[in-house]
Amino acid sequence: MHKLRDTPGDIEEDLRSELEDIAGNSRVYVLGLGNTDRADDGAGVLVAQALKKRFPSFSYSEHDGVEGTVLDISEKKEDAIIIFVDAADLRASPGKIKLVRKADIKDTEITTHRVAVALMASILERAGKRSAVLCIQPGRIEFQGKVTKPVMDSIDLTTRVLTAIMKNANS
Amino acid sequence: MRELNVEALARVEGDGGITVTIDGKNVKSVTLDVHEGPRLIEQLVKGMTPADDLNVIPRICAICTLSHRYSAIRGLEKALGIKPPEKAQVTRELMMLGENVESNSLHTFLLALPDFLGYPSAIAMLNDYGDDVKRALRLKKFGNHVMAVTSGRIVHGENPVIGGFGKYPGRKALEEIKLKAHELVPDAVRAVELFASIDYPTYPEADMLFMSVNAPKNQFGFAGESIIISNGKEVDVEDYKKLTNERIVSHSFAKRSLYQEKPFTVGANARLINMGKRLDGQATDLLKEHYNERWLKNPLMNNLAQAIEMLWSLEHLPDAADKVMSLDDPPIEKPTRENGSGTGAVEAPRGTLYHHYEIKNGLIDSADIITPTAQNLDDIERHMKLTAERMLADGKKDDEVRLGLEMVARAYDPCISCATHLVTLKRI
Repeated sequence: MHKLRDTPGDIEEDLRSELEDIAGNSRVYVLGLGNTDRADDGAGVLVAQALKKRFPSFSYSEHDGVEGTVLDISEKKEDAIIIFVDAADLRASPGKIKLVRKADIKDTEITTHRVAVALMASILERAGKRSAVLCIQPGRIEFQGKVTKPVMDSIDLTTRVLTAIMKNANS
Repeated sequence: MRELNVEALARVEGDGGITVTIDGKNVKSVTLDVHEGPRLIEQLVKGMTPADDLNVIPRICAICTLSHRYSAIRGLEKALGIKPPEKAQVTRELMMLGENVESNSLHTFLLALPDFLGYPSAIAMLNDYGDDVKRALRLKKFGNHVMAVTSGRIVHGENPVIGGFGKYPGRKALEEIKLKAHELVPDAVRAVELFASIDYPTYPEADMLFMSVNAPKNQFGFAGESIIISNGKEVDVEDYKKLTNERIVSHSFAKRSLYQEKPFTVGANARLINMGKRLDGQATDLLKEHYNERWLKNPLMNNLAQAIEMLWSLEHLPDAADKVMSLDDPPIEKPTRENGSGTGAVEAPRGTLYHHYEIKNGLIDSADIITPTAQNLDDIERHMKLTAERMLADGKKDDEVRLGLEMVARAYDPCISCATHLVTLKRI
């Protein structure tokens, strides 16, 4: 687990540094997870949607079909990393961002609703691809609630950082 | 007294668990405790227009989203005096085939199969069954694609509406569906082979009663106007309350259903038992080859039934796509009345799903939604109790009993999406 500093101003720099480190010279794909009907739970999808405008072939979300997207990327003949972006309960204040590498992704089961990130990360690994999860702490997940200010700030920050990373990696 | 807990299923959306209370060597009770929120939706939609209702009710479930939408549409169209155009009907058939492939592929390969192959999860299966895990993802992706083409998007598509479709799928998309469905048939055959090769435990076996819709024109399908009961009876869907008799139990927020005071089962096994003779293609050949009297007693056979049904759906998709292509796009049919009532019954992947509506002055006056899992809960508990009793009598260890109970629960493909504690054993 890689902890980002809490000091305002450093977070963006730290996140960028972390992501550059794990991305290396690979193509960078983003897959946003979550449910936009449930306020902050949709953070990952909102990041992916923002990135899709600039990187339509490299940014996907729940709305594109998670498993199919992972399957397609796993079959590409290129060095690639997928960054899953998802709301996660980090037991931290809303908007807190944490980067979790493949080795630290909890080996959880699959539900009837979607295949677990751990399985998708394992499939990617078997195909020679790497993955990581960028987690954002939600503050509110009520049905049809609004995204909270701290989480919206983190969505914007994450989008800025990933835009810079993807611009370098995917051009 | 002691407790054993099974680790959580991920992505919790609802809360449930199983509690087995054991007094010495006797199983005192087995309860499936479900804490679901969706029933509130029946109150939430009161006073809404039927169109607004359709925006809300698919949110009950992200995987049965089209089943909920379709069942609601059928009930609302009856209430509003609408006869949907033929093209709408065949396009709805197409979307249900997609949902069936999407859901059955996930459940068979990734949820159920690890239990029978001795792996804790699909992740652990990757080394030995990596190709099968990828088969599941291919099939799920395709099922999602069919759902998106017909409903507008993968989850909670808004395109199927009361009286028809906002936009009908185009020829190019339908031709692609035909081609891909044909390509994926071997993957479904593999699923059948896998589940037919399993030596299913006998622990849960007991006589069962099965219910499913009676698809029209003596064909196999996922919607109908009457319900077939495996005891030979048939009941109009408007009399659904005679079948479901919902009641409340203290240990669960989910209502329960009994038919003539007895539990019953809905799902793919019920559909194949009641309508299996109507299948065609390889699906009928494989059903004949693998069907036996254990299907009538063992809920674990639902896994094999889902695999065969998924194969039928893939084989049937090209015909359904052809039918859609052969018809001109009709306008959306409008309501002919503002007051009325109607019941829709469709076969969600995990069983019969009812939506009943009363409409007054064009607004929803009352709604009643009965999900497959709510109907299955009593039978799940019955078969789990038998399993616990017999496994303990056989001297099985707690972990083995726990797995046996989970296998029974999972075989029903219940929509206790992502329960945190599936099984708790309490010893007195």
